[in-house]
Amino acid sequence: MIVAEAKSFAEVAEMVSSFPRLLVAACAGCTAICGVGGVRQAEELAAALRIHFRIRGVALETEVAGVTRQCEPEFIEELAAAVGRTGAVLSLGCGVGVQFLADRFPQVPVFPALNTRFVGGLAAPGTWEERCRLCGDCILHLTGGICIRARCAKGILNGPCGGSQDSRCEVGDDVPCAWSLVWERLSALGRFELLAQIRRPRNWANGNGGPRSSGGASG
Amino acid sequence: MAVNRVGAVLVAGGGVAGIQAALDLAEGGFRVYLVDEAFALGGKVPLLSRTFPTNECSLCSFSPWLAECARHPNLTILTNTRVEDVAGEPGRFRVILRRLPRGVDPEQCKACGECAAVCPVEIPDAFNMGFSTRKAIFQPYPQAYPRAFAIDRGACLECTLCVAACPAGAVTLDEPERTREIEVGAVILCPGYEPFDPTPLENLGYGRFSDVVTGLEFERLLSVGGPFGGRLARPSDGRAPRSIAWIQCVGSRNRALGREYCSAVCCMAALKAAVTAREQAEGPLETVIFYQEMRTFGKGFERYRRRAEQAGVCLWRAGVDSVRQVEDGGLELRYADEQGAGRRVFDLVVLSVGVQPPSGAVELARRLGLKPDRHGFCTPAAPGGTAAVRPGVFAAGAFAGPKDIAGAVIESSAAAAEAAALLAGARGAEKRGETLAPGRDVRKEVPRVGVVVCRCGTNIAGVVSVPVVVRSAEKLDGVALALEMTHACSEDSLSRIRDVVREYGLNRLVVAACSPRSHKPLFQQVLREAGINAYLCEMANIRDHCAWVHTNARVATAKACKLVAMAVAKARLLEPVIDVTVPVVPAALVVGAGPSGLAAALGLAEQGFEVHLVEKEAQAGGGYRPGPGDGLPDAQSVRSLAEQTLQHPLVRFYPDNEPVAVDGHVGQFHTRLRGGQTVRHGTVVLATGAREARPDGYLYGEHPAVCTLTKAERQPDPDAGTVVFIQCVGSRSKERPYCSRTCCRRSLQLALKMKEVDPERNIYVLFRDLVVYGADEELYTCARSRGIVFIRYQPRGEPALAPAGKQVTVAITDPVLKRPIRIAADLVILAAATEASGDSRALAHLFKVPTDRDGFFLEAHTTLRPVDFSAAGVFMCGDAAGPKTLSESLLEGRAVATRCAAVLSKGEVRARGVYARVSPDRCAACLRCVRVCPFNVPVIVGNTSRIEPVQCQGCGICVAECPNRAIHLIGYRQEQLLALLRAGLREVAG
Repeated sequence: MIVAEAKSFAEVAEMVSSFPRLLVAACAGCTAICGVGGVRQAEELAAALRIHFRIRGVALETEVAGVTRQCEPEFIEELAAAVGRTGAVLSLGCGVGVQFLADRFPQVPVFPALNTRFVGGLAAPGTWEERCRLCGDCILHLTGGICIRARCAKGILNGPCGGSQDSRCEVGDDVPCAWSLVWERLSALGRFELLAQIRRPRNWANGNGGPRSSGGASG
Repeated sequence: MAVNRVGAVLVAGGGVAGIQAALDLAEGGFRVYLVDEAFALGGKVPLLSRTFPTNECSLCSFSPWLAECARHPNLTILTNTRVEDVAGEPGRFRVILRRLPRGVDPEQCKACGECAAVCPVEIPDAFNMGFSTRKAIFQPYPQAYPRAFAIDRGACLECTLCVAACPAGAVTLDEPERTREIEVGAVILCPGYEPFDPTPLENLGYGRFSDVVTGLEFERLLSVGGPFGGRLARPSDGRAPRSIAWIQCVGSRNRALGREYCSAVCCMAALKAAVTAREQAEGPLETVIFYQEMRTFGKGFERYRRRAEQAGVCLWRAGVDSVRQVEDGGLELRYADEQGAGRRVFDLVVLSVGVQPPSGAVELARRLGLKPDRHGFCTPAAPGGTAAVRPGVFAAGAFAGPKDIAGAVIESSAAAAEAAALLAGARGAEKRGETLAPGRDVRKEVPRVGVVVCRCGTNIAGVVSVPVVVRSAEKLDGVALALEMTHACSEDSLSRIRDVVREYGLNRLVVAACSPRSHKPLFQQVLREAGINAYLCEMANIRDHCAWVHTNARVATAKACKLVAMAVAKARLLEPVIDVTVPVVPAALVVGAGPSGLAAALGLAEQGFEVHLVEKEAQAGGGYRPGPGDGLPDAQSVRSLAEQTLQHPLVRFYPDNEPVAVDGHVGQFHTRLRGGQTVRHGTVVLATGAREARPDGYLYGEHPAVCTLTKAERQPDPDAGTVVFIQCVGSRSKERPYCSRTCCRRSLQLALKMKEVDPERNIYVLFRDLVVYGADEELYTCARSRGIVFIRYQPRGEPALAPAGKQVTVAITDPVLKRPIRIAADLVILAAATEASGDSRALAHLFKVPTDRDGFFLEAHTTLRPVDFSAAGVFMCGDAAGPKTLSESLLEGRAVATRCAAVLSKGEVRARGVYARVSPDRCAACLRCVRVCPFNVPVIVGNTSRIEPVQCQGCGICVAECPNRAIHLIGYRQEQLLALLRAGLREVAG
């Protein structure tokens, strides 16, 4: 899942300050699930913006609409009429959603209300953790299902390094050493031999220039 | 039997135990007469400031129970009424009741308080233990039910001022005593307890020094509703005490007074009082509890004790000799502890007085042919039950032996089960059902709101100008009619509301009066009777939220107008709610055929319900089953229970089996078993027991002379001249911060048995606190008299064991002699902890119910719903809910049978009117509702959340959490609440 966080209210208010009408667009996909991009948050943000501008003597009209996913052309089509009425869009989708909206409605400005952070999952109520670096070269089968690219501070392929102390990473007290986790997991799986193999550095020449794509002609 | 059974039960005693039994039976379709000599229901619970171990306000958690009693159609409440005699036979008794004069007609009295305002008599208020005063005409306590006032005959001057002042004409000074006869099938006695009067113990100064108070008196001093409004103060001068001492076991465990039993509740009560006092104290406060044994055996009690000690409550093991007053008003305690004699001065002394049966109740019990024990307690004819020696009569609660609220609740539910089993064929015969008229469909109609503004005597009208509120309401959008009433809740007012709803074609009702918590059901009922859906009713609380908290008439009136406008704005948007019901499969699934599971299964079968009893092992009996249970004390009685249960035609036994998949909810569960069978059932009982933890250390498993208590219990005559028992092995430790509750009792029973077989044997018991509560204290007394040696040890001073050939040398320091002792033991018995079985967590997951930190099942409410899970239709009993004795397990099993029967006997389960609804097109399946629901109701099915109305408790947490506004709560839609708020923020004309 894409994990996103709300931008500061001041930043959003500043961004949209010269627009008298605004569509606040929610996304029922990842950002809603993160609790920052759903209809509730869109309504709350719209109300907060109206109040913010009203007390500064500026009239702002808002409309709130939500779609199933902002990263799908068919779904964002549902917003066309509202975009026509307002002339500016504040998106509570991830970076992909914002761009899809901007592509579909090139004549209106589209603003991001969120910062898109990483790909991860829920670790504890309200806390998400990064679990994938989107490297395009998965080796999880070699590391006991623990992504050392996302979870090792150095992203090293042959670990642990000398900074691993009591299964903790030297970058901070609470960060577990990913390689220590790998070690434990592989021990439990009885696949210790995988740790003995030396991994060659990753070939950065493959597919890291420009936007990546998958399927279709480029596959 | 020839007797034609009556489907009605008399419950004598309106405290927490009586109320529980009465509600259980009323819910189960029996007619119940709940009788109490007092002017109001409640017993002792309303006196308490808080309840342990949760520290909740006692009355706040209990008052819904009182309200439920007041509302139940099958329940007749007879206060100020005494049971005179019971004749006849089980199944058909004739009971003679004597109604003592109240002086006020409870049907007419509106509790406006005008009588008390004019009453010239001022006397000490018994509810506040005499620390404040009240009038001769009075309300027993503000939340009392019946709410009606009553006259204290002893204090009344018969000046008749109250008669003239009463606007309802409810006061009658010359009301005679009346007797009446009722017919019931069974009698349950729950008269509760009374505190021991410490006045005769002159050394403690009670009665001589006003700052020596009893535990119950101190509860009133702490209570926010008490004489000092919750400010910690001592009675003599109202000053804040800087130090308080508690003296434990006053009138308990006292052979000189002939009161050998332990009162079971005082340890926790004192800890709770000390913690509460520290919280309420404005400055530093010293709190010292002088005790002999600290018995924290209940669920969460040991943790409570630790928290109390961490918070600064000092536990001081010492005997207190006397209390005397010193010059500056302080109270000096003279005591002796292991260091010798000492003295210390405190500002306030609390005597933790023991409990005893009320003398009137003991007389009644004797009159009814029961045989109270020598202390007056009406102990059961057979352990694990509630039947008294006279068939058809049951006793429960503190009257059957000292116990806490949870214990009383369990026991009274068990009594209800036994009464219900006796009267099984007559269930529903005397039931008074509600008849519901079909409501008119008003959804397409323009809102026509009727507004009723209540004067509530002078309660509201004394501050708020009611005619002004009515005039302002008339002008509101959608209001078709507004009128005022003196008491909207009186019978004539209610029938007038019914009439005007029909006459004016109203389709919404707003009542501006008191609290919707107490009165909304009443007005909803009236609306329903007028042919309109009950959920089209709204209330504005212009009494509690307005008249009671403001003195300025102009401001209060304006606010009342606004509150009415808000309620009207919301009412216009209310929608009718169709009651959702699902049929109930009248069968129960009981998982676990140990003692408690068997008791539950038999209890249900005896009440006529089908039971599916699933057991992991090949045989029933749990730890007492053939094989592991051979030789255990009580094995025989559990096996005969098993036999009786399995032979019952309504019980289906599935040995070697367990549930593997569960679908459905209360009323309609479908459970698949490992054996391939699918069982349909309406309720579930989880009774999967616990296990003895493997001891860690003490040479266990290393030396043949060391064994666990369970193993030793099978061999009461070992070949051992010297036996050492070590208590608390693995209990009350860091890993298991709880007391295993049964080990002291079982150790002493075994030690006594060993002594009986061979009196020459040397027996030592090494213990921390000897936890034998209630009548079991006698075991301790008896063991000491037989020469069993008790040596106390402290954590970090645990006994050390060393092998010495066939023997084991046990080294310990005697705290009295202050010298190390070495015992050459032939046998060392470790009282190993009881721990949750691994099955509990798996089952909890399967049935979506919680476990506590120790892996035991977590009940819905520690004190008031001890065998219920918060999920509807799922119950627990026995050791799986926490360690307990065999009798306690059996009682819990019976209690669970009652709780299940209340669901199974109904035919259908009905959703509350307020429940959450999901709009599937908006649901993102984010799982928030699933994760936050405290009752585990939402599930994701086909990518959207599904919330079953009959399971939903209407708390609204999921609504607040849903990121996509896909969930709303009926009656609390966003647009309804926004309309209400907007109306409140708008300027009101008037």
